[in-house]
Amino acid sequence: MTTVVLTNPYSELVKRYFANPVHAGQLPDEYNNAVAGEAAESATGARVILYAVIDRDIIRILRHQVFGCPHLIAAAEAFCDKAEGQPASALLELDLPGLMDELAIPVEKTGKVFILEDAAKALHIMLTGTTQSED
Amino acid sequence: MLNKNVAPVYLDYAATTPVDPQVAEAMSGYLTVGGIFANPSSIHAAGRRSAAAVETAREQLAGLLNVSPHELIWTSGATESVNLGILGAARYRSDRGKHLITMPTEHKAVTDTFQALEREGFDVTYLMPDRNGLLALDEFEAAIRHDTQLVSVMHVNNETGVIQDIRRIGERCRERDILLHVDAAQSVGKLPTDLSVLPVDLLSLTAHKLYGPKGIGALYMADRPACHVLPLFHGGGQERRLRPGTLAVHQIVGLGAAAALAKSRQVEDLMHLQGLEARLWSGIGNIPGILRNGSETESFPGILSVSIEGIEGESLMLALEPLCVGSGSACNSRNRESSAVLRALGHDDALVQSAIRFSFGRGTTNDEIDLAIGCYADAIKHLRAISPQHARTA
Repeated sequence: MTTVVLTNPYSELVKRYFANPVHAGQLPDEYNNAVAGEAAESATGARVILYAVIDRDIIRILRHQVFGCPHLIAAAEAFCDKAEGQPASALLELDLPGLMDELAIPVEKTGKVFILEDAAKALHIMLTGTTQSED
Repeated sequence: MLNKNVAPVYLDYAATTPVDPQVAEAMSGYLTVGGIFANPSSIHAAGRRSAAAVETAREQLAGLLNVSPHELIWTSGATESVNLGILGAARYRSDRGKHLITMPTEHKAVTDTFQALEREGFDVTYLMPDRNGLLALDEFEAAIRHDTQLVSVMHVNNETGVIQDIRRIGERCRERDILLHVDAAQSVGKLPTDLSVLPVDLLSLTAHKLYGPKGIGALYMADRPACHVLPLFHGGGQERRLRPGTLAVHQIVGLGAAAALAKSRQVEDLMHLQGLEARLWSGIGNIPGILRNGSETESFPGILSVSIEGIEGESLMLALEPLCVGSGSACNSRNRESSAVLRALGHDDALVQSAIRFSFGRGTTNDEIDLAIGCYADAIKHLRAISPQHARTA
């Protein structure tokens, strides 16, 4: 066992999103029209669920639940922050390289962020029945 | 939201301890001009003063272990001691047999050394512990063969704090002319270790786990005909030619001073640790899903390792800041290789990754333990609020 942090592996933005994930958690029961999309990675158990409330093709509310590393939690939080208020097609337009760059996510964590992308696609399928953007 | 505006709290004494100010003071006289800095192998007056300091330190360490000073060999630390003790003895006694016994819960310094011996043609049996981390004596006896020549079992496990019964293991070894090596890096100076009565042949220790400096350790080698090692290094006559190289006088003085201090404070230190451990466990032991790793009774009170259901380990480590604690992942690299020790207890990967090792020392206060309790509880609450796993495990 072990002291892990040899140099700080987390950017300030990751730490901020991780410490205060305002989009985390399930939607209250009153949102009975909410839709969920889920993705997971069996090897590590990492798991992302996205919940959305859509009104006239606009994502009014987007929430996440994440079991995973700080980078994945921060990525989910950043994605929800950006996608709220956008058309549903934004779920298919996750700028993975841009998000990783913004959060300074190390390349070895790329696979983790793919889980977020898969959850967003799954959510879009639940919303529209298609994986294609309708724009 | 997590509050991170608190100064770091060091609860990682099993990784290393700070040098005690008295030890640092003792060392400071052995470095610079005006001090005792000469090579202790030199025969001039300054060299003889250095040599005397080395022998005084040897007597101090011998006093802590209740052995003869000449049974101690200075090394650079526990890893080197382990290598010298295990490689040196196994090679020296290879005509006695090529079967060796150890456990997968040993420190990597030991398991990696045994793997090196396997590559040399030795046959190693790795005995699994029970779910409490303890070696079952009947399984140990069953594993002994006619050609078994060396056994290595650690005294206190560095990850769980579990204490092995080295007395009874040693008795069974002595009955069969098998050498017993003990990695005592976590126990020397903290638990009573009287080698005049314990049937131990080789024992490895390091200074930096007992408030001494890093970079110095020792191998105890019992003065028995059967007990001898071949050197790993060559190039001088120091340490009876078993560990050649110029002796680091200031480091050795530091280890000696740390040993003398540990001997004088052992009861007081142990009581302090018992109080801290009890306080921490009473504060976090009721959190749903928490699990204590290793035996609760056969355990060194300076280490408390816990796992928890439904929590991801890397996120837990970040959420625990400002606590400086050990995790269930590798201590020796930047990767997240999960702990072989905790897997050997039967834990799945998720429980292993969620493991946190709290370890305390002389400088740890009740206030720090209370802060750790609050940080741990807050971190679990925070991560469970984020996690979809919580609904499944709650």
